[in-house]
Amino acid sequence: MRRMGPEIPKWFMILSVCWLYKGVTCNSVEQKIYVALNNTVPCVRLLNATHQIGCQSLKSGSTGVLHVLQSEADLDWVLSTGPHPPYMVFMEASFFNNVTMMRLKNSTRVAGVAVVIPNTGPAQGYSPHTGCPNQNTGVYSEKYGPLLANCNNTVWNPLGNGLSYEDFRFPIFSLKDDNETEVIRKCFEDHNVAANGSAPQYPLCAMQLFSHMSAVIDTPTCMRRNHLQNSFSINPDMVCDPLRDYNVIAYLRPVNTSTKGHKANESVVIAATRLDGRSFFWDIAPAAEGTVAGFVTLLAAAHALFPVAQEVPPPRNILFTFFQGETFDYIGSSRMVYDMQNKKFEIDLDNVHSVLELGQVGLWNRQKLWMHSDPISRLNSSVEEEVGNLVNNIKFVASQMNLSVEEPSVSQALPPSSFQRFLRVRPVPGIVIADHEAAFVNRYYESIYDNAEYLNVAYPSNMSEAEQLDTVTDTARSLAEAATLVARSLYKQAGGSDPLLSNITADPKIVTQLLYGFLIQPNNSWFRALFRPDHQQVLKGVQSNYVGVRMPENAVKESTLLFQYILANLTGKATNLTQSQCQNPSDLPEESKDLYSYMWVKGPVSANETEGSPYCVRASTRLHEAYSPAFLLSDYASKEYSTWTESRWKVIKARIFLVASQELEMLTLGVGVAVLLVSLLVTYFMSSKAEILFSSARETSTTTY
Amino acid sequence: MNLERIPNEEKLCLCRKYYLGGFAFLPFLWLVNVVWFFKEAFVKPAYTEQCQIKAYVKKSALGLLVWVAVLTTWITIYQQFRTEWGEVGDYLSFTIPIGTQ
Repeated sequence: MRRMGPEIPKWFMILSVCWLYKGVTCNSVEQKIYVALNNTVPCVRLLNATHQIGCQSLKSGSTGVLHVLQSEADLDWVLSTGPHPPYMVFMEASFFNNVTMMRLKNSTRVAGVAVVIPNTGPAQGYSPHTGCPNQNTGVYSEKYGPLLANCNNTVWNPLGNGLSYEDFRFPIFSLKDDNETEVIRKCFEDHNVAANGSAPQYPLCAMQLFSHMSAVIDTPTCMRRNHLQNSFSINPDMVCDPLRDYNVIAYLRPVNTSTKGHKANESVVIAATRLDGRSFFWDIAPAAEGTVAGFVTLLAAAHALFPVAQEVPPPRNILFTFFQGETFDYIGSSRMVYDMQNKKFEIDLDNVHSVLELGQVGLWNRQKLWMHSDPISRLNSSVEEEVGNLVNNIKFVASQMNLSVEEPSVSQALPPSSFQRFLRVRPVPGIVIADHEAAFVNRYYESIYDNAEYLNVAYPSNMSEAEQLDTVTDTARSLAEAATLVARSLYKQAGGSDPLLSNITADPKIVTQLLYGFLIQPNNSWFRALFRPDHQQVLKGVQSNYVGVRMPENAVKESTLLFQYILANLTGKATNLTQSQCQNPSDLPEESKDLYSYMWVKGPVSANETEGSPYCVRASTRLHEAYSPAFLLSDYASKEYSTWTESRWKVIKARIFLVASQELEMLTLGVGVAVLLVSLLVTYFMSSKAEILFSSARETSTTTY
Repeated sequence: MNLERIPNEEKLCLCRKYYLGGFAFLPFLWLVNVVWFFKEAFVKPAYTEQCQIKAYVKKSALGLLVWVAVLTTWITIYQQFRTEWGEVGDYLSFTIPIGTQ
């Protein structure tokens, strides 16, 4: 290679020049024709045991003449009167409702939909989720509280229009209101609007959306095809992947994780909440009220509880669990219960003393919190007694803090909650704390508008990041109070003594920083200090609470990893282990990987240095796989466990361009073919008559020789 | 190979080999046989082996027709009903076009 050194660059130069020339001309032609839209998010296909939901385009992209919906008349234009179907419908979010979308869905004149999503939702509320979330995988059924099944007595999400669970045969993309939407509108106004409602003339502005999905029908079908591909194909073309990730857990008192199954003398209070959410569009799940407020409150509660509880440990242990994938039929909690039943978890169900779950709490605004419990299991006197104790403990703490916490006035079902998965297997005493008495207060449940703004987490625009981190918002203050309530209730529930309760107080500053990090900017100095030094680029990515799929299969979702580090920092202890000891602490006599996790974190960076001083955190946090047992059991049509999978796809992109009329296209093609035929004829004629045509030239050439 | 250049006995031998080979589930051999020896069997002026070649070519053509009929029927049925068969349809397929039922 060395010897050929001088020659390689020459060849390389020639080749690369050729390649560049080709590339440039190729690109420039494409750029002249198409305007790519980069700031788009698609709706993708998800599948469960019986259905497919979501959207998909044709294999080579769905193309249609652009039409902007501004009024009902425009809808008629698209659905019946417009002369150039199929249409690509471009609409404001106000049209993105059940009525309009169903009319579009049932029309063959629609090629696709692009929706401009603003930052704030409509005042009257908007939820694309169903009215009865996780209807069939909770505890209530024909066998268990038939009167409460299917949200018979309380529709939890009355604003839910169910759009997220529809199956659209055309692509739907979302766009942010920015320069790109301006370009689209201008293209529409310049080319597709004709005076006084007449048909516009070609060329017309068109849009092409690519979101062709590989999987179809349902999960049993796509998993079967995956399996067939895996066993027979050299180059397997998988079609779908199960939704999966990890639960994050932390024990108040470390539990030996090397032995599974029942632990003697261990009675555990579970403090639970969920980690994930969703929206109509793929990988967008702000879930501020739906999820983030709850897990931030529980994080702050854990942070407040750990120092006191480690100094004076209560008789019972507390397990903080943050369940993943709960939006999709309780993936995380159903797996934990399954593992507890099958002795694959550190503790089993006999070790569970009670459950305290945090539902949606972000909008309580220091008014009133509600304690929901299950009326069916409370028919059992021992459960009734335990639930009564738990309620009294919470009420005791609340009265100390002058807060109002009540049980719903009428007996009703539990709201959708992970706790239902425990009740499915046995009557565990437990309470779900939420800010709603009956239907959700959340007007944007599982929608794109359930964001920081909705939770009132907003800062003046001229603030620096450091100032924003230091500003304690009203939301943070009220969530900190809820966290204090939860922490003290847990301590009391675990048997801790009353005089110590006043020592447990959640820090509003921690809450505000957590809200800032999870809702506004994960890449802030505080999160950077708490996270791994070698994974800092993760923070720069967009954080989404959508559970998603994992490749490779045992990978951990980045935001879950971040969450684990934050929980570890808030509940663990900084040690003086070196980096190598931190990675391999088993060599040290007083450290144990069975009891603790050891995490190397970046540490705070002061103004005059760049690297910070990394250190090792020892905490009892763990990851627990949130992968539905349906896939472990290969029971893809399971009625018991979550069967959600996400389809794979090859291309997702969007672009606009001008299309010519069909006639012009045909004419161009015709002329091209004609030119080809004529040139063939001419060539044939010339070669057959070459003797005559070139005779004189040949004569002259022979004479010169 | 140019048939013009080989003696008639060898032609017969070749035609016979192709005819027999076709029975090993190789209908394309019969197709080749029919196309290749058609002129020899039906167009050329008569010679001693022509009668036998004619018989082989006819039988090859018949076999080929049966194959075509069977395959066409099966392919039509398969394409028509694969989606309805569901699981069975998937197991019968070597490649399934992605994104379709």
